[in-house]
Amino acid sequence: MKTFLLMLIPLAVFSQSGREIAEMIENRPAPDDLINQTVMILTNSKGKKRIHKMISKSKNGSEKQIIWFMEPKDDRGIAFLKIEHENRDDEMRMWLPAFKKVRRISSKKKSDSFMGSDLSFEDLSNRQLNSNDYKRLEDAKWLGRDCYVLETVPKKESKSNYVRHVSWIDKNHINILKEQSFNKKNKLEKEKHFSYETRGEYQLIKKVKVENLLKKHATEITFSDIVINSGISDKLFNDISLRRLPLE
Amino acid sequence: MNFSKIKEQIIQWTIRQAIGHSKRTVVLSAIATILMGSGIRFLVMDDDMMKMLPKNLESRISWDEVQNEFGSTEIIFVAFGSEDSSAYSAHALDNLWQLSENLQLLESVREVTNINTSTKIEQHDGFMEINDLQPSEKLARNEIDEIKVYLNKNPKLKRRLISKNENYLITMIQPESGFGLDRFRNDVVHVADSLLADYEIHYGGTAYVTGSVPQLIRDDVQLLIKAGLIIMLIMLLVNLRSLKAVIMVFIVIIPSLFAMMGFMGWAYKITGVNCFLFALLNTSMPIILLTIANSDGVHVITKFFREFRRLKNVETAIEYTMESLLIPIFLTSITTITAFLTMISSPLEPLIGYGICMSVGIAWAWILSSLTLPAMINMVPWDSTSYSIAKPSILENLASFFSTIVTRFPAQTFSIGVLMVVLGGIGIQSINVDVNVANFFKPGTEIRDSMDFMDREMSGTMDLRVRIEADVRDPRILNGIDSLQSFIQQNENISVTYSIADVVKQMHRTVMDDSLKYESIPSTREKVNNLFTMYYMSGDQDGLSSMIDHDHETTLITSLSSIMSTEDIFSLAGSMTTYIDEHFFGAEKISITGMIVVIRDMVLMVIRSSLLSIAISVILIGLITALFFGRVIWGALSIIPLFSAVILNFGLMGHFNITLNHITAILSSIIIGVGVDFAIHYISQFQKLSKIKREKNVTKDVVKDVGYPILLDAGSNMGFGALIFSVFLPVQYIGGLMVFAMISTSLGTLTLLASSTQLLSNYVSKRVL
Repeated sequence: MKTFLLMLIPLAVFSQSGREIAEMIENRPAPDDLINQTVMILTNSKGKKRIHKMISKSKNGSEKQIIWFMEPKDDRGIAFLKIEHENRDDEMRMWLPAFKKVRRISSKKKSDSFMGSDLSFEDLSNRQLNSNDYKRLEDAKWLGRDCYVLETVPKKESKSNYVRHVSWIDKNHINILKEQSFNKKNKLEKEKHFSYETRGEYQLIKKVKVENLLKKHATEITFSDIVINSGISDKLFNDISLRRLPLE
Repeated sequence: MNFSKIKEQIIQWTIRQAIGHSKRTVVLSAIATILMGSGIRFLVMDDDMMKMLPKNLESRISWDEVQNEFGSTEIIFVAFGSEDSSAYSAHALDNLWQLSENLQLLESVREVTNINTSTKIEQHDGFMEINDLQPSEKLARNEIDEIKVYLNKNPKLKRRLISKNENYLITMIQPESGFGLDRFRNDVVHVADSLLADYEIHYGGTAYVTGSVPQLIRDDVQLLIKAGLIIMLIMLLVNLRSLKAVIMVFIVIIPSLFAMMGFMGWAYKITGVNCFLFALLNTSMPIILLTIANSDGVHVITKFFREFRRLKNVETAIEYTMESLLIPIFLTSITTITAFLTMISSPLEPLIGYGICMSVGIAWAWILSSLTLPAMINMVPWDSTSYSIAKPSILENLASFFSTIVTRFPAQTFSIGVLMVVLGGIGIQSINVDVNVANFFKPGTEIRDSMDFMDREMSGTMDLRVRIEADVRDPRILNGIDSLQSFIQQNENISVTYSIADVVKQMHRTVMDDSLKYESIPSTREKVNNLFTMYYMSGDQDGLSSMIDHDHETTLITSLSSIMSTEDIFSLAGSMTTYIDEHFFGAEKISITGMIVVIRDMVLMVIRSSLLSIAISVILIGLITALFFGRVIWGALSIIPLFSAVILNFGLMGHFNITLNHITAILSSIIIGVGVDFAIHYISQFQKLSKIKREKNVTKDVVKDVGYPILLDAGSNMGFGALIFSVFLPVQYIGGLMVFAMISTSLGTLTLLASSTQLLSNYVSKRVL
């Protein structure tokens, strides 16, 4: 009987459908709020690098987020505020120190790259479970870890810029370790690698490396000085905060 | 053993092979030709014109930099719609959406720009909104009106996306790197034709024309070559009056062509070198080889007829023919091969392969006419009383007439010849260089009409780029770009220019509450930088990627214009350079580029290289002739008809406003290839006869003797005048010039060279004796 039960365990794991794996990712615990310093290194096809440093504070899984630009010198002082709404367009504001103006901005373009990086807003946003179809592929090992391999195919109505993604998901922590995204021509366009830090029950992303294989660009984002659940107030996310640079 | 003894032994051996072992000689040469020609299955057509552009050309380097930074600058324009209805309709915009989606799926397509893929930046309920200009596939009336209002507010953008009368939608398509423009063009046309069958469709752009031209020209030339061969056959038949004689001439020229093309295939198969690809420039190879091979065959057949008429014995007639012609045919082949091998130094890869393969083809024609043709003559029965052999032909009588005129009035003939060359030569200074492929098409042809339509109704299909290396965040640089655009816009051919300065001005206006007075470059670098950052946070970096590089250190001004001649481009580029030198400060480097500029520079390089090649060929031909005939004077005299014909042809191009480009420039090769044959045959016969005849009669007999094959060769080659019926202007010009080249080279030999030998008869004859 015991042997029989032991035999059932891998069967039970294998029987996990693609959709169920996606739900497991969706349901991972996340901190209420998050503060971090972000260093984003953009590398172009000639190997030339551009470095941005930012401080970010966010709440409710980035539903509310404020970012202050610290470097390069030209960008210092610019700040960005985003508040997501369920039933209407997201609210985005920017403080433009040279004009001394706060300007509301709006973008519905999913393919737009974030700050000229290789990550688009679509790459950065959480995938809506019902906007995709899922297929579990044969399990594989990645960096010595046992992984689920999940194929995500965006539905037509989601108007995605990709035809499919293939993700390697660590079976232990349900973290995406690697993901390949294929463009509309079904060509491998981007390859992303993630590394994590375990903080209690949370898996916090420490580093994301994205390579655009077609443009031969790369972006590396490192998150440091991570503070979680510090009790950030909702009042922080307003125009006044945008104008005040936090201490580094 | 001395040189003349070796020469004599080789001649006797060749005669023995042709007469003593006729069947074996024919069979062996047939096997060799089949083996060589079988390489034709490895012949690879290459219609990618980009491959032929030399990589070390300065404008090419600058152009490559632009392509690396901003993607290909060569675009295909597709305009669709209908004369009678507005393009602002749900149906048309739905089709535009489908077109974009399908084009974006093509591997050869990098970027599609039209209303569907464009972005709008506007002030909306207090937001600065960056959004898709066409929000969805199916549009409501109010959404279409919004697009219309936005485009009316942004006339520069409007000019690029919709026709002047708002009834055609425009799409600009940029190719993916690594794909030939021929493939790109075919992919785009296939998608557009299949999706837009209900509309009038117009195509344009350098990428479209460049992608279309090679295959079109090749098809056209192939058809006209066949027509030329038929005319050649008729000319030979009328004059030789013997079908088997004409077939024998063709048995030299067609297998030579087969062997040359086969060699090209083998060479590519074995070496894999690009110069052995059959490109647009190689299209003229068959014509040139056919004219040269025809010359060899015609000389042998006509000589045989004359000797057979005199001796009444086939074998003896062949023996005499071969003794008389083996050396001149060898010499004409070796000099022509030398001339073609000078092309190895060409800056263009296809011309290197051109020179090598032509040399093989000429060598093949030499072997076939020296061995196989006499062997075949020997295998066939001939009747010395037949009309074709017993009676002289029209051209034979014409040659006799020439011989009388030249010997009776040598000084006058010489003077008239020189005067014609001088008068013709004056035209050289009026030669125009025009390499714009759009001008290859006559008005009235489908492609040209389509391009003219786009020039008339839209923003034009020719693009010129200015690449600027500078700190693009600096307002001084942005103002400089803005002023330069205004300057370029003053040119009547330019319809629209766009650059990052336009986007910065538009963003500035939007940030400043859509106030028109702020549609300007902000005053400080910080403000400019804030605008860029705001754009990236709300917009798409890719939206600017065709104007500015990743690091904001290089930017591009794009100008769209109607079709311009190379002369106009030279003039515009020159005035832009002066303006930049005098008014544009602070940039590290500014260069004017675009495919049209690269091709212009390339053609100038080709022309310079061709002129050098002509000069070297002429000198080498003179040296070889002098060496072989043992006197410097023969070397000098041999180049007279060549030199005169080259000057006359280029002069004629100037007089008749025939533009010089990479296609018409090859005519000099034909002139040299054919002209040298005529001169050598003349000199060889002169030398031979001067040993046995009185000096004053030599010229007359030589003109009578070689005049006939020269006139027959020139006359039959004029069949390629059929090229005049081509739809492509340069090919038409080649057809016309081909006829003139035949006249000038044959008459150059029979007048200038003949009158020179007559005037110098004492000198040239005495020394031989």
